[in-house]
Amino acid sequence: MLRYLLRRGFMALLVALTVSVAAFVLLNVAVDPAMAIAGEDADLLLVEQIREQYGFDRPIYVQYFEWLTRLFHGDFGESYYWNKPVGELILSHAPVTLQLALMAIFVTVVISIPLGTLAALKQNSLIDRIALSTAVSAQAIPNFWLGLMMIILFSVTWQIFPVSGDDTFAHFILPSFVLGASSVPAVMRLTRNGLLDVLSSDYIRTARSKGFGGIRLLLQHAMRNALLPVVSVLAVQLGQKLGGSVITESIFAINGLGRLALESILGGDIPTVQMLVFVFALTFVIMTLLADLLNAWLDPRLRLG
Amino acid sequence: MKIPISTIKFVLPLVFLIVSTATPVFASKKDDTMVIAFTREILNLDYMQTTKREYIMLSDLIDETLFHVDTETFEIKPNLAKSYTYVDDKTIDVVLREDVTFHDGSKLTADDVYYTYQYVIEDNMNKPHKTTVRWLKSVEKTGDFTVRFTLKTNYPLALRDMARRIRIRQNNIYGTTGNYDKNTQTTSLNGLGPYKVVSFDPGKVVVLERYENYYDSPKGRPAIKRIKIRSIPDLGTQQAELMTGNIDWLYNVPMDIARNMGSTGRAAHLEGPSLRVGFIPLDAGGVSGKDNPLTKVEVRRAIIHAIDRQGIVENLVGGTSEVIHAACHPIQFGCTDDVAKYEYDPEKAKKMIVDAGYPNGFPLDFWAYREQQVSEAIASDLTKVGIDVNLRYSKLSALNKARRAREIPAYFGTWASGGTADVAAIANVHWSIDSDRNLSGDPKVTELMLGAENTNVPGEREEFYRKGLQLISDQAYWVPLYAFTANYLTSKDLIFPIPKDGLPRLYSTSWK
Repeated sequence: MLRYLLRRGFMALLVALTVSVAAFVLLNVAVDPAMAIAGEDADLLLVEQIREQYGFDRPIYVQYFEWLTRLFHGDFGESYYWNKPVGELILSHAPVTLQLALMAIFVTVVISIPLGTLAALKQNSLIDRIALSTAVSAQAIPNFWLGLMMIILFSVTWQIFPVSGDDTFAHFILPSFVLGASSVPAVMRLTRNGLLDVLSSDYIRTARSKGFGGIRLLLQHAMRNALLPVVSVLAVQLGQKLGGSVITESIFAINGLGRLALESILGGDIPTVQMLVFVFALTFVIMTLLADLLNAWLDPRLRLG
Repeated sequence: MKIPISTIKFVLPLVFLIVSTATPVFASKKDDTMVIAFTREILNLDYMQTTKREYIMLSDLIDETLFHVDTETFEIKPNLAKSYTYVDDKTIDVVLREDVTFHDGSKLTADDVYYTYQYVIEDNMNKPHKTTVRWLKSVEKTGDFTVRFTLKTNYPLALRDMARRIRIRQNNIYGTTGNYDKNTQTTSLNGLGPYKVVSFDPGKVVVLERYENYYDSPKGRPAIKRIKIRSIPDLGTQQAELMTGNIDWLYNVPMDIARNMGSTGRAAHLEGPSLRVGFIPLDAGGVSGKDNPLTKVEVRRAIIHAIDRQGIVENLVGGTSEVIHAACHPIQFGCTDDVAKYEYDPEKAKKMIVDAGYPNGFPLDFWAYREQQVSEAIASDLTKVGIDVNLRYSKLSALNKARRAREIPAYFGTWASGGTADVAAIANVHWSIDSDRNLSGDPKVTELMLGAENTNVPGEREEFYRKGLQLISDQAYWVPLYAFTANYLTSKDLIFPIPKDGLPRLYSTSWK
C-alpha cells in the first residue's frame, strides 16, 4: 500500500508541475506582464522600466524556476491587479468556494443517489425512463441558463431566496443547486448501473435465499458495494467544483475563487492566475489521488496494478 | 402516513434556518440606503490610481477637488478653492476655504493641497497623472490657506484638470518624497467628499455613509444617508436584483433591456445624453501600408457616404443618440457643425470607389471591440458598396496592441472625453502627432487641434477647432458616427437627475 501511495503521489505532483509549466508559458505568451502592470496607453518608456524592474526581460525558464523556488518557500507572489499578496487573496476567497463546492456535492448526492437507486430497483419502468431523461436533460442544460431560470423562479417570482451575494447560508442554496445539478447525471447513472450489477451478483442471490430482503438487503448488502465507485467519483467531482465554479460564481455574484480567477484573467494579473491554475490543478490532482487511494484501500486488486 | 418525530425535529429547524436567512434584504427608502450595482469590480478606493468611469463616480462621492464642474452649464467653479486669480497666463493663485475637514476630522490646509500636487508631479510616470504633469510645472505653498500653481505652458484646461482629475489628499498620506507608497488609500480612504467610507470589501461591496460635517459645497448636501455599491458582473443578475427591490440604480444598460425592464413597471427606465461619441479613424497616412486604398481622399469620402448612420442611430442605438458630422460631441466647447457633411448615398459611394481606381472594390480589415451589432451593420454597409470587409471583432487590448504596431487601417473607436464638455478632451489624445490613434499623417491637423491648447482666449480656441474640424471632415480622416445615449434603470422610489454629460452624480440622488 505504501509503494502504491508513493507512486500515485509522485504522479500527482508531476501532473501539477506540468500544468503549472503550461500555464506559465501560455500566460506569458498571451499577456505582456509589463504592459498589464503599466496599463493600456502607458508610455513605452514606463513599460520598459517595469519590464526591467520586475525581471520580465529574462528568459521565461529563468522566471519560471524563480517562481517555483519562491513557491516552495511559501511566497506566492504579489498581485499587481489587486495590490495584495496572492496567498492572502486565495485564502480570503477560498472559504466561499469551499462552502459552495461542498453544498453542491451535497445537492448532487441528495438528488442522484435516491434517483439512481430508484431507477435500478425499477429497471426499465416509467420511473427508470424519467430518471434517465432527467439525467440527460441535466447534462445538456448550461449552468448560466439554469442559474438565470432559478433566479427568475425562486428569487424574482416567488422571492424565496436572495438573487445574488454570499452573505448568508440562503445565498448559497440556488448556486449550489446549479453547480450540483451538473454532476447529477454522472453520479445517478453510476449509482444505477452499480446497483444493477450488484443486485444480479451471486452474494445478493445467496442473501435473498437466506431470507434477507427489502430495505435491509438494499442498504446493508447492495448499496455498500454499489456506492464504492460513486464515492471516488464524488471526490473527483468535488475537485472539479472547487476549480470550476467560475460561471456560477459570476451569475450569483459570489466572491470566490472562480470569480477571482475570471477578474484576474481579464485584468491580465499573471501572478494570481498562475497561482490559481496551480491551486486548481493541485486540488483536482489531490482529490483524484484520494479517490484512487480510497478505491485501492477498498479493493486490494487495484494495489497490484 | 405517519412522519417520525425525529424527522420533524430535523427538518423543522432546517426550514426555519433557510426561510429566516432567505428573507431578502431590500434596498430602500425606509432605511435610507441606496444600493447600486456596477458590472466592473471596485478594487481600490483611490481614484489617483485609475481612470475608469466607476471610480470617477465613487470618487465624486468620497473625494473633493479644488474646482467643480457645474453640471448644468459646465462652467468651472471654485470648490475647495474659495477664489482664484490668474496672475499671468502661466501662474494661478488659489485661496482655499477654511471650513473644510477630512473624514477623520482634521482641517484642510494649504499643506494638503501642496502635498497632493507635489505627489502628482513626482509620481509623473503614473498614467492617471500624465495629463496633469504635461502642463503643471510646480506648486508652492504661499500661506496657510493659499497656494500658487506655475504652468509649463499656457494651458486653457488647467482648472478643468484640477476639477476632474486631482483629488486632494491629506499631507503625507502616501509618505514622503522618494518613499511614496501609493497603496495607502486603496482599502481605507480619508477623503473630503460628501460621503465617507464605512466598509470596503474589494471586488464585492463598498458601503458609504453621509459625512455629517461636510462643508457647504457646490455639490450640495446629499439627501440619502447611505450608499452601498455592489459588484455584480452578470447583467441578468443585476436586473433580477432590481426587480426584487434589492438594487435601486443601474447604468450602462443596453437599450432593449432597459426598455423591457421599464415596461414591466417594476423599475423606471431613464434615458439621457452621453458625451461618448463613436467614430472610425481611417488610415489616410498609410501607416498600415503605404498606398493602401484609404490614402485616397475619394475612397475615404465614399466610406462615409456608404454608412447609413441615421439608420444605425434609429434602429440600433436609440434614446437621445444623434448622428454627428464633426470629430467631437456637439455639446463640447469648440465643436462646430460647420463642416463638410456626407449624406448616406451608397450608389454615389460605389461610383466614387470605382472612380478612385478600384472597379472591383478592395479588401479592408475593419477592427472593433464593442458595439458588435453596430460594427456588423457598418461592415454590411461597406460590403454593399464593393469593399471586401474583414470584421475583426476583438478584445480592446488586442486592438490596442495592433494599433500600436501600426497594423490597423480602420477601427470602430469611441471616446467619452472623461465627461469634459470641451473639444480639447478628445483632440489631444486623437490628433497628437505621436498618437497611434492619429492615422491622418497630416501635421496640419495636429497644429490646429492642439494649437487651441496654447491660448486662453475662448474665441481663438474656437477658431482653431473650427479650422481643425473642417479639415478633418473635408479630408475625411474620420467617419464621425453618432453621439451615444445613456440608459439608466432605477427603483420607482428614486429621483435621479439625468446628467447632461453622461457622468452620473450619485450624490444628487434623493427619494421621492
